[in-house]
Amino acid sequence: MLQPKKTKYRRRQKGKMKGNAQRGNQLAFGSFGIKALEPTWITGRQIEAARQAVTRHMKREGQLWIRIFPDKPITKKPAEVRMGKGKGAPEGFVAPVTPGRIIMECEGVPFQVAKEAMKLGAQKLPITTKFVVRHDYDHS
Amino acid sequence: MRTLEINAEARTQTGKKETKRLRKEGNVPCVMYGGDKNIHFYTHENNFKDLVYSSNVYIVTVHVNGETHKGVLKDIQFHPVTDKIIHIDFMEVYDNKPVTIVVPVNLVGESVGIKGGGKLRLKRRRLAIRGLSDVLPDKLDIDITDMDVGDTIQIKDLEYEGVEILDPARAMVVSVISSRMAMKGMEIPEDTEEEGEEGEEGEEGAEGTEGTEGAEGAEEKEAEGK
Repeated sequence: MLQPKKTKYRRRQKGKMKGNAQRGNQLAFGSFGIKALEPTWITGRQIEAARQAVTRHMKREGQLWIRIFPDKPITKKPAEVRMGKGKGAPEGFVAPVTPGRIIMECEGVPFQVAKEAMKLGAQKLPITTKFVVRHDYDHS
Repeated sequence: MRTLEINAEARTQTGKKETKRLRKEGNVPCVMYGGDKNIHFYTHENNFKDLVYSSNVYIVTVHVNGETHKGVLKDIQFHPVTDKIIHIDFMEVYDNKPVTIVVPVNLVGESVGIKGGGKLRLKRRRLAIRGLSDVLPDKLDIDITDMDVGDTIQIKDLEYEGVEILDPARAMVVSVISSRMAMKGMEIPEDTEEEGEEGEEGEEGAEGTEGTEGAEGAEEKEAEGK
């Protein structure tokens, strides 16, 4: 599962996710990819589930790039605990994703295989996404 | 080099308000610089289909208000979510002045190494070149027929008449890497279906083989996780 090797602070403020992705919004490595259409936090577990689904469908072919990294720690209070008494314990890491962000890219497989693989991967994510193809991709 | 003609209207007003109005009507604001003065114009987004959504590189002839300007595509801005074209930059070209453009790499032939079970890895899909506009090629043909497993072609190995390649000389363009099958010394019959498909697919087929290591890496990750 993706997570930072070490963090400077164990807990971080929630922050805001305003606007569209101003960077990481175009395909940079592969010919195919999925693009987020909504803002959300994507957890390391969700990314790993999506990666497994995509890799499984692509079998031993092709290459996959994950363009987001869960570097933001999130905390959670234990069940049945009253409010207050400080912030909860770190529970995992998330990647804040804004609309337009490329989540993962792949290359080296036919168009239809890539589309299906990306669809299966997108099903593991908590947001709506769209399949994108490199602008100069030659469909012939 | 291929050419494309575009009829455009000059922009009398610039600024955020006017630009938004143009985009609402399906037009794309453009600028052409590199000449005596910058030319601001707009045209409908459908006119850019061949230019943007294609692997070909064109010299664009823009007709604005009775004037004709020749240029090459310099930069495109896309909307982050909808992927619509927001703005296009062109660089004006002159017949006697060298121009810098990015052209696609075209692999020619079938490598000896691939026939022996190696994997083709195309590291650079496009290369930046410089030269006079009338001698610049549409694509850079690279012959890979003699490439065996372990061979690489770097920028310094490429030579084209009247063309200067601007990428770093030691940068790798294409290589044939050893796959598991090649390492084991297994012979792959030439007439198998897979081989035939690869040959037909040409460049795409070659690209298709390049990422096997990625999948292997992913499997290693899985194993580590377990």
